[in-house]
Amino acid sequence: MSKILAKNLNLWYGTFHALQNINLGFGERRITAIIGPSGCGKSTLLRVFNRMNDVVEGVKVGGEVLIDNENIFDGDFNDLVKLRKKVGMVFQRPNPFPLSIYENIVFGLKVHHLVKKKEFNAIVQESLESVMLWNDLKNKLHKNALGLSLEQKQRLCIARTIAVKPDIVLMDEPCSALDPQATLKIEELMQRLKKDYTIVIVTHNMQQAARVSEDTGFMLLGELIEFGRTADIFTAPKDKRTEEYITGRYG
Amino acid sequence: MKTTTKQKIAFSILFLCTIIVVLPVVCIFWIIIKNGYKGITWQFITAMPTEGMRQGGVYPAIVGTLYLVCLSIVFSLPMGVMAAVYLNEYAKDNLLTRLIRLAIVNLAGVSSVVYGLFGLALFVTFMKFGVSILSGALTLAIMNLPVIITASREALASVPYSFREVSLSLGLSRWQTIRHSVLPFAIPGILTGAILSLARAAGETAPILFTVAAFYLPHLPKSIFDQAMVLPYHLYIISTQIPNISRETRYATAFVLVGIVFTMNIFAVIIRSRLRKKKKW
Repeated sequence: MSKILAKNLNLWYGTFHALQNINLGFGERRITAIIGPSGCGKSTLLRVFNRMNDVVEGVKVGGEVLIDNENIFDGDFNDLVKLRKKVGMVFQRPNPFPLSIYENIVFGLKVHHLVKKKEFNAIVQESLESVMLWNDLKNKLHKNALGLSLEQKQRLCIARTIAVKPDIVLMDEPCSALDPQATLKIEELMQRLKKDYTIVIVTHNMQQAARVSEDTGFMLLGELIEFGRTADIFTAPKDKRTEEYITGRYG
Repeated sequence: MKTTTKQKIAFSILFLCTIIVVLPVVCIFWIIIKNGYKGITWQFITAMPTEGMRQGGVYPAIVGTLYLVCLSIVFSLPMGVMAAVYLNEYAKDNLLTRLIRLAIVNLAGVSSVVYGLFGLALFVTFMKFGVSILSGALTLAIMNLPVIITASREALASVPYSFREVSLSLGLSRWQTIRHSVLPFAIPGILTGAILSLARAAGETAPILFTVAAFYLPHLPKSIFDQAMVLPYHLYIISTQIPNISRETRYATAFVLVGIVFTMNIFAVIIRSRLRKKKKW
């Protein structure tokens, strides 16, 4: 059964039909990559799953998205908070708050009053360990996070996301601001994280999709052209457009 | 003429204009300090005026000014910041919002004597607060609102959008996002604007003329419904209404007024420079 299931999903920005009749399912504790050229709607699709598009004016959504069999468009406001606790997001540019490392990680916990203050230390350690930063940073937890390297910042942002204990982590081109070496390290980290989380990654880097994901979806001009096992998509694409894109002949 | 010569002339003119901007400030400070510093004594700052204000100190006027300025910020800062939050974070770009923005710009352009008359009509007469610190503070608060709103909006707008995005993605509501992820990072900028506006308010005469200022009071104000002596008005009186007053007293009074305003501006500059150091995002 799919963790996330989109049925006849449509999205309009005003009159622009940005997502057209998308049907797909994301498997639990797997990494699914969404690839496609710029402007194909892959980031928009990702932002449907935690309803981040809601803040954009003039957005209309049709169809259903089921997460654990609950339609995310049915909820009232509280479900939006609930939804976003369940579905975390990592952004393109590492964006820690100009606060200490510690404060960054407990940011969500503090506001939500999810756990008692005395448990914060344990969660900070746990979160930093799962992004493999604990050993490097355990002695400078109260230093400003802006002093970290880009890669460390992105790891910290992932730690901040998983500190709220989501089920799903959405990653919107999480490595595009990083150098190749840092990119590989973040990819390693994703492999570790998939034991506990369902990961959806949007990337314009096809090699990255091929390296990290189990399933891949290829989008073009707001349509999902092809979806399947990553190995199949990259070795034996069924659609001609997919083939053209992955072999670099597109656009 | 050679290009380099032209360039030199252009630079010289630009530099000259810059210097001319600084000149009045330097002159004002120089004249006030030169003529007034002898009059600045502990007694002058802490004593009541005597001999028909020809002797003694300016203590009640200092107290009145501080009362007025503090009370006005109590009204204008929360209101201004909340209006700025609404305009920057919530307001859609529609006709109403544009009208509000236009009103704010125009409010900033209204001359201060008009504020004074408005305060007289609304607070003193209509709301029956009388000529009092409350009326004066409210009048100054309205005069300061556009400055505080504009400064606060700028401070809010300088907080990166990504902070809001992350915050929402962590499950915070829009209000929680503003409260925890935007306002804390905008506060230094907001405070800078507030202090600058206060410094201006402290030096204004016209808005307080009809709403609070007393010619002479033998005692300090006891509540916000009392009149008060206020420095700029006091300076105006001793300079124009009272014969045979020493030049030194007048300049010393100006010294105190300029000193208060200057100190506040310095505070604002310090806060701003600290903010710049911190703000690397």
